[in-house]
Amino acid sequence: MLQRGVQTENIVNDEHPEEGFAMLARAGFSCADFSLNGYLKNTDIYRSRINRFFDQSVAELERFFAPHKQGAQAAGIRINQMHMPYPIYVPTADEGINTYLRAEVARKSMAVCAFLECPYIVVHGMKLAKYLGSEEEEWKRTEAFLESLVPTAKELGITLCVENLYESVGGHLVEGPCCDAQKAAERIDRFNERYHAEVLGFCFDTGHANLVGIDFEHFITTLGERIKVLHIHDNDGIGDLHQIPYTFAKVRENKSSTDWDGFLRGLRRIGYQGTLSFETAPVLTAFPEVMKADVLAFIGRIGEYFSSGLSVG
Amino acid sequence: MNIICAPQGIVDRNHPGQGIGDISQAGFDCVLLDLSLFCTPDAMEKLGEPMQNTGALRQTAFLCEHPEELYDSLGPLLEQCRRRNVRYTTVRAPYLRRDTIRSDSETFITRLAEESTAICGRTGCRYLIVRPLSAGIPSENLWERNRAFYLDLAERAKKYDMQILLENQCRDYNGHLLRGLCADSGQAVQWIDALNEAAGEERFGFCMDVGVCNICGQNMYDFILALEKRLKTVILRDCDGNNESALLPFTAVKRGESRTDWLNLIRGLREIGFDGELIMDMYDTASAFSPILRPELLKMAKSVAAYFKWQIGMENLLKKYSSRVLFGAGNMCRAYMKCYGEKYPPLFTCDNNETLWGSVFEGLEVKEPRCLMNLPSDCAIFICNIYYREIEAQLRQMGVENPVEFFNDEYMPTFHFDRIERD
Repeated sequence: MLQRGVQTENIVNDEHPEEGFAMLARAGFSCADFSLNGYLKNTDIYRSRINRFFDQSVAELERFFAPHKQGAQAAGIRINQMHMPYPIYVPTADEGINTYLRAEVARKSMAVCAFLECPYIVVHGMKLAKYLGSEEEEWKRTEAFLESLVPTAKELGITLCVENLYESVGGHLVEGPCCDAQKAAERIDRFNERYHAEVLGFCFDTGHANLVGIDFEHFITTLGERIKVLHIHDNDGIGDLHQIPYTFAKVRENKSSTDWDGFLRGLRRIGYQGTLSFETAPVLTAFPEVMKADVLAFIGRIGEYFSSGLSVG
Repeated sequence: MNIICAPQGIVDRNHPGQGIGDISQAGFDCVLLDLSLFCTPDAMEKLGEPMQNTGALRQTAFLCEHPEELYDSLGPLLEQCRRRNVRYTTVRAPYLRRDTIRSDSETFITRLAEESTAICGRTGCRYLIVRPLSAGIPSENLWERNRAFYLDLAERAKKYDMQILLENQCRDYNGHLLRGLCADSGQAVQWIDALNEAAGEERFGFCMDVGVCNICGQNMYDFILALEKRLKTVILRDCDGNNESALLPFTAVKRGESRTDWLNLIRGLREIGFDGELIMDMYDTASAFSPILRPELLKMAKSVAAYFKWQIGMENLLKKYSSRVLFGAGNMCRAYMKCYGEKYPPLFTCDNNETLWGSVFEGLEVKEPRCLMNLPSDCAIFICNIYYREIEAQLRQMGVENPVEFFNDEYMPTFHFDRIERD
């Protein structure tokens, strides 16, 4: 059986983190995707409202997250992946903010990642194609940013993972950075060859892929073993809803409108051995609080089903 | 670039006179010979089923089963085109519904494609758009089956010297449209190149359906650049990005913004210097409008198509003149200088704001408008300000006789991160 994980957002709180991790364990999870991005939210970054959380020194941050680390260990939960705050560059913001995001937030995120003994950190590519003219030029900026993190990543044994993202055109979600599997594979290979280490990998996000009609199986098999972590969640193909797999149907037959079979075929073909990690935090606030444990258990059960599907054939 | 009007929603196959007349009156001089008007996707879906009280469906179903009758059925439409000097350069072969459940369609779709090839030849058209086969074919056999299908058509196409165009597809997955055959530009390029190599000549090209790209949320700039010279026709249609429809461009909007990524479409087509066929398809919009209003709608559609042609060919306009000056010293002038200043340098710019006169903006001297009276006669004035018509009138009132052109920065190759804010 593959290990299953879920986001810590809406489960693990800072007052009693051990309780959240224990709840995860009871729901059948053995891993967690640590939501570091919750400490500096994207909605605030886009509005240039930068809180001072990352003003703390690395030592202070380690002290802050020590109970989280202990809570996870006590519950037998491994923090297998985490999410760096994003975006890391806002074209319309002051240069001071952008410098802070790169120099303080990104650097300290890496330190927290290492402190929590987490091997993978998911990083968003910059969304600049509109301004720079092409995704190729956009990638150059992202690449330069990633390169600035590589020495630390290499030293700390962390793999940076880029994720397939979307952009909005009049509220219609269209492909954004890292949606071309072939290009992503080539870029990751070039990057890792240059640094003689596996410093860059891929995070396949099922929900984002579903929004832009990507063929899951083809995408996954093209990236192959470069896929290190997953963001598993579902949507209606229109909005980035982060819901439980198999939630959406569009036809009278009520069959899932997301190609979960293709997802499993793809993972099976590449022999995926990583964690089946669910990025379904919004579900937990949508259901009544008293049902949280049941909802988590249900998500965990889907993870089990996926895992059993992957071991077939 | 040739602008073509798709007849769906405008032309009645049995009484094509009014529709072709409206198209012609609106200023279109070319129509798409869309054979799905005669063999509709719905009729193909119902082939073999008993049909009750569905005269129109029965008629098109008959043609699906007897493709040899297709050319004669097209007769009245061709005759109306001849009478009104409306040309045709492109034929579109009939196609199945996206959500088809037929697994037995290959035989009749192949026959229809063969007949479409003959019609393309007999009507003297250059291009035949044929969707790849997919219904009922296991994924591992798709390439081989399509290879055989297209190469057989190529043999037939040879004697007419036409090109067969593959088209990007979406596929229906339980009601959700996902990327289908040739939606991946890499696959499309691979297929076209392999087919051309097997045919021993450039017999195959590509037709890009903008609606499909939009539904699949694709980066159209990258898509176009990958296809480059293989791209012969572009089907221009709008939709909300989630549902299949063919709307007049700029009508699928939310809070004042288009839901189709026109920026990347225009950027891409401009960069490859697209000079092929631009097909305006607004089936759903035209169907929804009353026939009483349709002539006015078609005039609007013609203007929209011409606007796309102008935007795509923006560089052609800039290089048309041996020298140029700008009117406007604001964001649009700044955009011009960023993207075209080096390649097509203006002599200077001018502005009605007298506080700017004598200053230098983006490396250009800002002069007062009366300086435009002393320009060499072949120098064009490019208005870089959204008050185009007012400024043009001002210049003509001043007695300026030089060519006046509009510049526009909505679809620039790149943009500044910021905008200048002036009171």
